[in-house]
Amino acid sequence: MKCYRFVFIGLLLCGLTGCGGGSASSDGASNEAANSTVADAANAGGDSGSSAGGAADSGAGGANGTIGFSVLTLKNPFFKIIADTLTAEAEKQGFTVLVNDANLDVDTQAKHLDNYLSQKVTAIVLNPADRIAIGPAIKKANDAGIPVFTCDLQCVSEDAEIAGHVGTDNYAGGRQAGEAMAEVLGEEGGDVLVLHFKQANSCVLRVNGFTDVVNATNEKRADGKINVVAELNGGGLRDVGHNATADAIVAYPNLRGIFAINDPSALGARKALEEAGKADQVRIIGFDGQIEGKQAIKDGEIYADPIQFPDQMAILTMQNIQKYLDGEEFEKVNLITPKLYKKADADQDPDLQ
Amino acid sequence: MKRLFSEYGSLLVFLLLCGYYSVVTWSEQHPTNAAAGRSLAQSIIARHGVQSDTLIIVRDTVADRVFAKAISSELTELGGHVRETVFAKAPVDAGRALRRISSDDPLEAVATHHAGTQWGPLKVDRLKRLANQLSLPQVPKVHVPESYMWPSFLTWSNILNVFKNNADIAIIAIGMTMVIITAGIDLSVGSLLALSGVISAVMIQRWWGGEDAGLGGLIAGCLIGAGICALSGTLNGIMVTVCHIPAFVVTLAMMMVARGLALIIAVDYQSFLSGGGTKGTPEAVKIDHEAFGAFSNGELFGIPNPILLTLLLYLLAHILMTNTPVGRYIYAVGGNREAARLSGVPVMLVLIFVYTLCGAFAGLSGVMDASRFEGGRPNAGELYELRVIAAVVVGGTSLAGGEGRIFGTLVGAGIIAIIQNGLNMQGVATYEQMVVFGSLILAAAMIDQLKKSDWALRIFELPQRWIKKPRQGETPR
Repeated sequence: MKCYRFVFIGLLLCGLTGCGGGSASSDGASNEAANSTVADAANAGGDSGSSAGGAADSGAGGANGTIGFSVLTLKNPFFKIIADTLTAEAEKQGFTVLVNDANLDVDTQAKHLDNYLSQKVTAIVLNPADRIAIGPAIKKANDAGIPVFTCDLQCVSEDAEIAGHVGTDNYAGGRQAGEAMAEVLGEEGGDVLVLHFKQANSCVLRVNGFTDVVNATNEKRADGKINVVAELNGGGLRDVGHNATADAIVAYPNLRGIFAINDPSALGARKALEEAGKADQVRIIGFDGQIEGKQAIKDGEIYADPIQFPDQMAILTMQNIQKYLDGEEFEKVNLITPKLYKKADADQDPDLQ
Repeated sequence: MKRLFSEYGSLLVFLLLCGYYSVVTWSEQHPTNAAAGRSLAQSIIARHGVQSDTLIIVRDTVADRVFAKAISSELTELGGHVRETVFAKAPVDAGRALRRISSDDPLEAVATHHAGTQWGPLKVDRLKRLANQLSLPQVPKVHVPESYMWPSFLTWSNILNVFKNNADIAIIAIGMTMVIITAGIDLSVGSLLALSGVISAVMIQRWWGGEDAGLGGLIAGCLIGAGICALSGTLNGIMVTVCHIPAFVVTLAMMMVARGLALIIAVDYQSFLSGGGTKGTPEAVKIDHEAFGAFSNGELFGIPNPILLTLLLYLLAHILMTNTPVGRYIYAVGGNREAARLSGVPVMLVLIFVYTLCGAFAGLSGVMDASRFEGGRPNAGELYELRVIAAVVVGGTSLAGGEGRIFGTLVGAGIIAIIQNGLNMQGVATYEQMVVFGSLILAAAMIDQLKKSDWALRIFELPQRWIKKPRQGETPR
């Protein structure tokens, strides 16, 4: 009699694991397809090691190996674009890609790397969740002879060996933002707020570039200087950027410009300005060039963005992996310069309405 | 049979999961051990004859060196000849070596492993081009060991990884099990883990000389880090017992305070490092001492230290809970606090003890984390409290208190670890992982309810009743 409830429990849990498997197969359908081509091509090539001696003839037709990609977070569209482009590009070149979401946590990321090692992947790509603490995990990959490539974010741990890095030249982007600010404020200059996110080293570089240009501009001027009146934490998020801006407008009623280190915080700032009725008085410079940011530039809500190229980063990373495996030379550190994107660019952008 | 199921139900689920993932990760494996090297050498001799001239190309790693040595010694033993063994740091080295060696005297065979076949210079078209350029009489043939089919989930290295990487969750779960058995909860464990890691790291770096710290300094630093967490746990316990504040509120507050302190200390330390000129950023506090990483990354008898430590602690906790008065007190307090008090159980002391122990285990995990990442991370252990509670609940401990077993929690932690590992290996995105985890916790809670009430029992007994009822009606009263 009572046995029934254990049957019920059993069914429940079987359903659960089945559920996990189900979502896995539906999501990784393309992966599985790629996997089977790997196996087929290997067999067709005759390197499956028959007793005849197992000569490795595979080279044509796909089976080039597996790439493990530990993404910083798939909740941010920027990294989703990197992941999607990398997967598409790799599949074109006959690789299978395993994409794992580190969820901003280096502990999770280290687990991903350990998994890649026991799966013996061909190469590892990651956006380090912590530029120091990821070191030991990368060292383990070095010891196993698996090359590690970083993308967007860099690893600064000294003993970790990185085969190649592709990222944005954030300092140059910050300088572009500074120049855009000097341009929009004109001769009069004025008070400027910076919405910072100090946790990310990339944002520190952006603000450094920005303040360097602002200081250089001020040196040339007798009056009409640009004053950075406050650096507040915008969290890189809409809500935090909104609240920080709302507070800043009260404290600095003569505010004329805002530099936000990414699009979400810039859009949060815009919302706060609209609520305070100061949207015309204060001009915003953002960063990133995500689709919502570009749309805001077209609508005149943000003045300009230095835009990054996540798709280019993924393509370049994939090219580096291919070159590494082919034994060709390539740039070990490759920084893509951002491009200043204004209303004129947005008007011609086919991706926007 | 029935008893067996209720006692070991979670263990059964654990084994089912292992089986499931073994099936779905069934894939081609490419061995690179000594045995594979020897059989590769034999097949080269079989193919090319005794006079064959072989070049061995492997990567410059420990495992590859063993593999290469096995090939070369077996080849020599069988009468073959090894031209040279190349330890390539990158594929480009393999290409250069191949060009240099082939131009001396044409090669017949190249021995490598599966990873080597993915290198451009060892691909057939490139070898053909090389042979053309150098006008060699023949294209060298590339040989790799035979592959075989095996679940990549069930490899020794993966199993060890799963348990090693989740040792911190498992260890904190011991303390959490005891807290939950007393019908309490501790939300502060994740933050305490970070606090302990950061304090230990700063202590070692600043007061015990960093790189030059002696063993005593390392241990003292870790003890202070873990000790502060134990004291925070004691404070939790005092607040719960003396001040009668609900455990949820007390530990929620402690969670925020501890996380804040960890961040403050880390940022201040970074600022101190830069000479006070700039404000610091909340990054890991790096520990320079070389031996410190050995605590978490080292191994004993081929088994990683964290696994051994986890098993030892579980054994001790099991003895504590089943064979000592303290264990019986903990169950008694959770079962019925008033009854326990009236029977002379020191309720207050028992509660303070379990919260202290929980804090201490979180502190210990923080030290392990700092050792694993060679630095104290102020962001470590985020959302750990929920994962630990999930492990405890999945392991069969009732949130209502009074019920639960230590080894059940170990199995619960294992289940959660394995699900995550399996999903990661398949490359399932976190979006789906969250759905699976949520469903798992819900299912575990349902099982918990099933044990207590019998609503599900009634559902399943319905058919039986329909069959039995007429018969019961027939029997006259």
